Amino acid sequence: MDFFTAMEVSASGLSAQRTRMTVSSSNLANASTTRGVGGGPYQRRDVVLGSVPMNNGGLGVSGVAVQQIATDPNPPRLEYDPGHPDADVDGYVAYPNVNPVEEMVDMITASRAYEAGVTALSTAVSMAERALGIGR
Amino acid sequence: MPSDVSRIYDAVDRLEVAMSYHRDRHSVLASNVAHLDTPGYRPLDLQRTPAPEATRPWLTNPAHQAGAAGGVEDRTVVDDGGALAGPDGNAVQLERELAKIDANRVRYGTSTELVSRRMALLRYAAGDGNS
Repeated sequence: MDFFTAMEVSASGLSAQRTRMTVSSSNLANASTTRGVGGGPYQRRDVVLGSVPMNNGGLGVSGVAVQQIATDPNPPRLEYDPGHPDADVDGYVAYPNVNPVEEMVDMITASRAYEAGVTALSTAVSMAERALGIGR
Repeated sequence: MPSDVSRIYDAVDRLEVAMSYHRDRHSVLASNVAHLDTPGYRPLDLQRTPAPEATRPWLTNPAHQAGAAGGVEDRTVVDDGGALAGPDGNAVQLERELAKIDANRVRYGTSTELVSRRMALLRYAAGDGNS
């Protein structure tokens, strides 16, 4: 195993966190979308991460990959707004099941996890540089 | 028992084993950090067991603690999760992993520094004290 394994593992973690950030942004941006892609209000998306084995020489090292972008099955939020073009016969509009607070918290944890991944990656780089400096 | 000339590099060989251990341990720890949000993930760590006494001919005194040379040491991957786990079964603690990564980096740096100094010493000797 070499330093590139460590770098690949860290990079897989970084791209997983970036995907989480993208999905959270999409949820926030669509917090009031009443006409989603498949018709009806937008439904909140959630990222499911899983392990993928890496070339590791029996050390049990694994990378991370996005296994699924799941749709949140919770019901939409109903608001009474009879003037809205998408209101039902009773005057209720179905808004997406997105909770902005939850999305902000998700974005903060994704951002912290990304920072930690960058730290691990730059540590691998600095260790490799130390090794290259031997005998200089 | 190797001849004296071939033992010149013994210290370097031992340090090389230490360096490759710290390098591999970094991969294991980096994998823990990457799995910060993977449900059910248990953090791992790499433990090294020094080679048995019989395979360490350079030990002149049993009280000396030398590392292993030439890949004879034993390494084991251990579960380092402890009893605490989040609601999704993930037991990675970010601060703990980052602290271990930093300590591991310093240890690796120490080994590389020692190799450099050992090499400088050998260069000095080979250059008749002129380098």
